[in-house]
Amino acid sequence: MDIKKVYNSKSVEEVIDILGEYGEKAKVIAGGTDIVIALNNNAIEPELLIDISKLEELKGIKVDKEFITIGSATTFTEIVESEIIDNNLYGLHKACKMVGSPQIRNKGTIGGNIANGSPAADSVPPLIALGGIVTLKSIEGTREVLLEDYYYNPIKEKELLLNIKFERPKDNQILTFAKLGLRKALAISRLTLSSFIEFDDNNTISFIRVASGALAKFPMREKELEDYLLGKILEKEIIEGAIEALRNSMDERLKGRSTLPYKRIAISTILREILEEALAFEEGVKAW
Amino acid sequence: MVDISITVNDKLYKISINENMRLIDVLRDELGLIGTKEGCGEGECGACTVIMDGEIVNSCLVMGFQADGSSIVTIEGLEREGDLHPVQRAYIEAGAVQCGFCIPGMVLSTKALLDKNPNPSDEEIREGISGNLCRCTGYNKMLEATKKAMEYIKGE
Ligand SMILES: Cc1cc2nc3c(=O)[nH]c(=O)nc-3n(C[C@H](O)[C@H](O)[C@H](O)COP(=O)(O)OP(=O)(O)OC[C@H]3O[C@@H](n4cnc5c(N)ncnc54)[C@H](O)[C@@H]3O)c2cc1C
Ligand code: FES
Ligand code: FES
Repeated sequence: MDIKKVYNSKSVEEVIDILGEYGEKAKVIAGGTDIVIALNNNAIEPELLIDISKLEELKGIKVDKEFITIGSATTFTEIVESEIIDNNLYGLHKACKMVGSPQIRNKGTIGGNIANGSPAADSVPPLIALGGIVTLKSIEGTREVLLEDYYYNPIKEKELLLNIKFERPKDNQILTFAKLGLRKALAISRLTLSSFIEFDDNNTISFIRVASGALAKFPMREKELEDYLLGKILEKEIIEGAIEALRNSMDERLKGRSTLPYKRIAISTILREILEEALAFEEGVKAW
Repeated sequence: MVDISITVNDKLYKISINENMRLIDVLRDELGLIGTKEGCGEGECGACTVIMDGEIVNSCLVMGFQADGSSIVTIEGLEREGDLHPVQRAYIEAGAVQCGFCIPGMVLSTKALLDKNPNPSDEEIREGISGNLCRCTGYNKMLEATKKAMEYIKGE
């Protein structure tokens, strides 16, 4: 580490100005749970560090008529303890609760999870399934990007991730999540799935988004699976068919990879879990 | 160098630290509080756990300057006028301490858990110390120690 200057920033404006002036020499630090390891190993060597973890402007969860907005510096613990991120949004609660350890959840932030860009970032599949929109700001201006498209045009060196927002779920919509890790407490997840499903009055799936983590270079929508499930009623054979649909996409995407045989088997467990949770919701039972 | 003021174990320190220091370096090298241990240095083991503004954190993953204005409790801060904290006493009595390397962090995680939730279930206790690895005990002794500590604290 060879850091020459550090800032306990006072406002978003100040952070944007410093990033604008110093560019690649400056790095933002939030919870530090990814970046301090990288700094300590000299994997990155910024000259300036800007702490944003105490910026009120970037913290907390806000609800308005249309959207729920989560500030980038909101910690996993704050999300887990929030009453807003519950019920129909249970999948996001579950994802955040399964991150690392209590110590990691107390510090790690949702903005850091997205900005760090890991294919295994646990909060990202549920946020993609929700149709999440990320807001990024720099001295050049502000841009909004769908989280599912974000990875094709990720954060630039002068940008600060302000928040992520998504539409408030309706009563007939449910977000679910499942993760297969090596060990519950600390394994960085190897496989995750999240589905956002709307049921119509006849229990038919009238809207669906499914997102996966660690099934590709970055978390992504699983469109083939969505196409298969749309318009169907969640019955036993349909769940089995869904597993085959997802396996088809994986076979194409992961052809020749040594992890494919394992992932083909493992995926059935977590796909069944998210669909059964959705089904339980549709039947009026809380699965949790 | 950067000036910070931090309260550690109820004592206010105004010090000048190197920008590259992590919180664990500040505690051990600047303040001489070597009860906080460094195991992995990567957030995995919890040996470096301290309580920061009421919540447990890995002090190997916090930069020193980020702790400016914060209040920290380390293992040295638990004793009460020469007596052990009930959690410390319970750990010793339950035989939960073997080599001892994990214990400062483990005890602080247990204390923070009981501060928030005086009646945790077994599952909540295991979850509360899930970020603290122990090579020696197998964790059942920690569970036992935590239950003892719950009783001591209630009796106070
Ligand atoms: C032991 C351990 C276990 C873990 N387990 C999990 C797990 O189970 N699941 C999981 O998903 N992750 C896990 N992680 C990874 C990590 O905790 C998460 O990715 C966390 O969300 C990172 O957030 P942070 O605030 O700590 O980021 P930081 O480390 O502070 O920053 C990470 C990166 O994002 C940038 N950044 C942060 N915030 C912003 C912002 N607002 N705008 C622009 N750039 C920003 C930083 O510059 C840096 O490059 C684990 C890490 C450890 C050490
Ligand atoms: S030394 Fe900090 S978690 Fe291991
Ligand atoms: S007592 Fe030895 S590591 Fe826990």
